[in-house]
Amino acid sequence: MARRRDQGAVSGISRLWREAGPTSRLIIGFLMVALVGIVGLTPKSLFDQELVWPYAALVAAVGWGRSGVAFRPMVLLVILGVAQDVSAYAPLGCFGFINLSVFGLSAAFSRAFDRERAPIISMAAPVVLYAIAFSLVWLLASFASGHVVQVSPLISAMVVTYVMHMLMAPVFDLGRRIVPLTGSMV
Amino acid sequence: MARVRGKRLKGRPLRRYALFIALAGLFGVLLLQTSPRLRAMVDPTRAMAADQLASSARPGLWDQITGKAAREARIRELEAQVRELTRYRSVAISMAARLEAYEEMLNVMGEPPVRGVTARITTETNGPFREAILVNAGRLQGVEEGAYAENEGGLVGRVVQLGERSARVLLVTDFNSRVPVMGEASGLRAILFGDRDDLGTLTDLPERGDFILGERVLTSGEGGIFPRGIVVGEIVQRGGTLRVEFGMRDSQGGFVRLMPSMKIPTPEAFPVQEAPSEETETAASEGAEPQGAQNPGAP
Repeated sequence: MARRRDQGAVSGISRLWREAGPTSRLIIGFLMVALVGIVGLTPKSLFDQELVWPYAALVAAVGWGRSGVAFRPMVLLVILGVAQDVSAYAPLGCFGFINLSVFGLSAAFSRAFDRERAPIISMAAPVVLYAIAFSLVWLLASFASGHVVQVSPLISAMVVTYVMHMLMAPVFDLGRRIVPLTGSMV
Repeated sequence: MARVRGKRLKGRPLRRYALFIALAGLFGVLLLQTSPRLRAMVDPTRAMAADQLASSARPGLWDQITGKAAREARIRELEAQVRELTRYRSVAISMAARLEAYEEMLNVMGEPPVRGVTARITTETNGPFREAILVNAGRLQGVEEGAYAENEGGLVGRVVQLGERSARVLLVTDFNSRVPVMGEASGLRAILFGDRDDLGTLTDLPERGDFILGERVLTSGEGGIFPRGIVVGEIVQRGGTLRVEFGMRDSQGGFVRLMPSMKIPTPEAFPVQEAPSEETETAASEGAEPQGAQNPGAP
């Protein structure tokens, strides 16, 4: 009985999410990124072990990018980028540039290879995108600081970001689909 | 339909251009910051924003949730208090030394040094009956009959029942407690007792004069139970009458200090012993001599 009730609640949420428009989805996604970011500003240690925190804005960039290029996600990504710049003491525009790059690449990737939302592409594409994003972070950080920065923390952050992507990707789905190519089975 | 489609196709390149323009703009901003002069212009704003967003001085969300921020604030507050008290301590030491010197010069009979016992409040009774507390120190710990209790806020009450390992203290807030008090500024005397509304009521007030609103109320030392000068509370106004807000309510630390009561013996208890007069001494010596005379050979 309780199981059925739980299933009912889950299906209710999924129904609500299905019916939600891109604007609501965008707001929810933005709030989610802001929440993860704010929690990330706090000391992150568990049992005296420093925790690696994900780059939630990149997850948003990848997720929103899959629905194609749009103005509002771009504006939000720039805003999030400024917040990231300030909190990470990066040069202004650095994270905005990275976020927008990943967003554009994600849109281009989806347009080129992921029109049918094939699971294999959905799994592999973010890995490539995050690899590019973290390479950019490494590159810009190395340029900004005047020396080659460590790679291992960035790899850890990338892994954690990918884990977060797997868990939260549906939140960053705006519900719009890039039109499948003419003659496809979908 | 075709119109809508045309609009879509028109919109897409615009968005794409916007993306490229935004990327180029952000890259430009990045490049501009390589100039030290431009960076110096941006830095103050950055610092301000960083202060707001990620300053380590500001307590984090987690710290606020776990109460760490409040604890740290309390520690800072206590540290400030310790610094202040350290200053007062040095002043007090120098004043005590000066007072000792004055007392010596004036030949003042000082009060005996106080020794007290700090005890934990184990039970509190504030029901419809007596307002009393039970503390975990008794005769074995050095608590004396009639001792009075105080905490950081002021006078708490007096011991009304003394056991070997515990003592019951009748609170000053109890209706049956009577404390001779005086106003710190006005100097007026009265008797204070507890009332139902957690405030003290003053009785036996002098015909002339009145307590000053906000002044501290201290024990007057009359009656011989409480020594003079212990803070009891503060004068407040409630419903047109002057009442006393008890100081002990300010600190509910769970501990009280039991101090021996001021025991000044009555003159009858220790009458002056008459010094033997000269005549009596002579008579005594005379009375002793014949004994020696009777036994001349005695060693």
